[in-house]
Amino acid sequence: MSEPLIAVDRLSRHYVVGGEVVRALDGVSFDIRQGEWVAIVGQSGSGKSTLMNLLGCLDTPTAGTYRLNGADVETLSDDALADLRNREIGFVFQTFQLLPRASALANVELPLVYRGLPRRERRAMAEGALRAVGLANRMHHRPNELSGGQRQRVAIARALVGRPSLLLADEPTGNLDSQTGEEIVRLFGELNAQGHTIVLVTHEAKLAARCPRAIKLMDGRVLGDGPGAQVALLAGARAVGV
Amino acid sequence: MTGRARRGARRLLSEVAEGVRIALSSMAGNHLRSLLTTLGIVIGVMTVIAIVAIIQGLNQSFAAQIGNLGAHTLYVDKWKWLTTGEEWWTMRNRQSMGRAELEAIEKEATHALAVAPQVGMRATVTAGDEELTRIRVTGTNARQLETGGGTVAAGRFLGDPDVELSRSVVVLGSDVADRLFPRVPWDQVVGRRVEVKGDPYTVIGVLARRGRMLGMDLDVNVTIPYTTFLRDMGGKRSITVAVTSAPGELEALEDELVGILRRVRRVAPERPDDFAINRQDQFLRLYEKLTGALYGVAVGVGLITLVVGGIGIMNIMLVSVTERTREIGVRRALGARKKTILLQFLLESSIVAAVGGAVGTGLGLGVALLVALVSPLAAAATPSAVLLGLGFSAAVGLLFGIWPAWRAANLDPVEALRYE
Repeated sequence: MSEPLIAVDRLSRHYVVGGEVVRALDGVSFDIRQGEWVAIVGQSGSGKSTLMNLLGCLDTPTAGTYRLNGADVETLSDDALADLRNREIGFVFQTFQLLPRASALANVELPLVYRGLPRRERRAMAEGALRAVGLANRMHHRPNELSGGQRQRVAIARALVGRPSLLLADEPTGNLDSQTGEEIVRLFGELNAQGHTIVLVTHEAKLAARCPRAIKLMDGRVLGDGPGAQVALLAGARAVGV
Repeated sequence: MTGRARRGARRLLSEVAEGVRIALSSMAGNHLRSLLTTLGIVIGVMTVIAIVAIIQGLNQSFAAQIGNLGAHTLYVDKWKWLTTGEEWWTMRNRQSMGRAELEAIEKEATHALAVAPQVGMRATVTAGDEELTRIRVTGTNARQLETGGGTVAAGRFLGDPDVELSRSVVVLGSDVADRLFPRVPWDQVVGRRVEVKGDPYTVIGVLARRGRMLGMDLDVNVTIPYTTFLRDMGGKRSITVAVTSAPGELEALEDELVGILRRVRRVAPERPDDFAINRQDQFLRLYEKLTGALYGVAVGVGLITLVVGGIGIMNIMLVSVTERTREIGVRRALGARKKTILLQFLLESSIVAAVGGAVGTGLGLGVALLVALVSPLAAAATPSAVLLGLGFSAAVGLLFGIWPAWRAANLDPVEALRYE
């Protein structure tokens, strides 16, 4: 059997706040295979944001190991982490995080700029990505000329354009109305069907329940890991256990 | 080049292009702020450029005037130019320069191309009813044009026979010719009679117009053979001997002249020279000393203004970094390295400063031109001054951009993305 795309082993992240150690993440282990769609679900304070930052190579763990596509992330330098993010990870944020003064096309091109691709190649790839998310006729609009759903599609195009091995979405529907959110979730479904590996971080049990697999966190530990429909509905009490 | 190096170079190139694009769009997005930010730089560069342009203009016109003295000419004299008070007394008591020295130099100076004596006084020159007072009368020989410059516009200059026979002939400066013989063409002035200090002379030539040097009008003079001068105007006057060197032999000529003069004037070996060998760059050196001080002050003031401008840029860049914290977080998440962010902000601060510098350079040159137009001061816009202005302001932007850029680069991406 081939190596999993993501291998997390006893991963911990502790912060020292006012002299007190806060165990935001406390010995979390799981694997994610190529092509999976996994929700990481939990209440605020459960450690899901910390886990997302670690999975996104934005942060380094206090203890434990994290292998992403064969790379031992915790051993990498800051530059190597930046390159890894550029190649392997496509971020989708709750607040879209588009650059306001740049067109949709320029926003989508950005990861390729940092990859050092020639301008023409960048342009072609960005146009392809925008077409793939249904924004072929909005390429030269600025973010403030787009609706929320369109902005999130631009962000998804930006995440996809570099053909990363992992799409990492943080509450991608949190700032959208329910209908637009539904469209975005469906888009994720399509992308997953095309073979993209997706990790979706959310506090919404209903959203997690629709994912083929969910990992439920609580107080920095894994409370449950299994089919979304089952895990997402686990009660948030420690007594239940797994 | 290896594939890796090529990729690195291409990445750097696209990052620089992106940095420039960001800087321009950020400036375009904040017109007023960019203007105020660069105002300090603009004023600083403007001041420096204007002052430098004016000083360089003065230098050029001064050098051009000094050039009339002849760069390859030494002036052997009893007097040293540009003396201090004490020296004056020792020189006053020196023996005059006379024919003996002149003839020795003419005979023995092998490095000399031309030797011309100069002896002068001021005298009244008349022609008919026209009378000019206090005109400079110079006694010299046929070599004068080679050592001192100047060309003949009509007639001829002094010849060797004029000097040998002490003829009463005179060459008029253009201004003297015009004033003594109003509305008479110069070629008809030749042959007329004039009186110099009461003695009759025949005009043999008129010199072409030369302009002014060091506030002295070179066209208000008359030239006669030095032999005639010594006969008619008094033979006790000390002669200055102008000696032009062969190309590249100025130093050798000077050594040679010292030897000749010490022998002719019988200076004992242990005694110092009782004569002076002057040259034009003495004036230049004195002048450069004067303007050098002015230069220093101007550059000092400009630098202080630039530092103040730089602090303004640093301030606004710090604000800009804070404002764009989330953008920095996004860029880091998308794969920008620390040095990418550093580069981006350094480019932005230096471009802002360089634009300010360009505006300041333009204004400074404008001020210099304006000064040149409304005052007798000259102004020269040299490329070096422009490069200096642009280079300095970009350097200031770079220097004062380091700290903000370093802060931007070292933001924690997680914190930056969360920043409200």
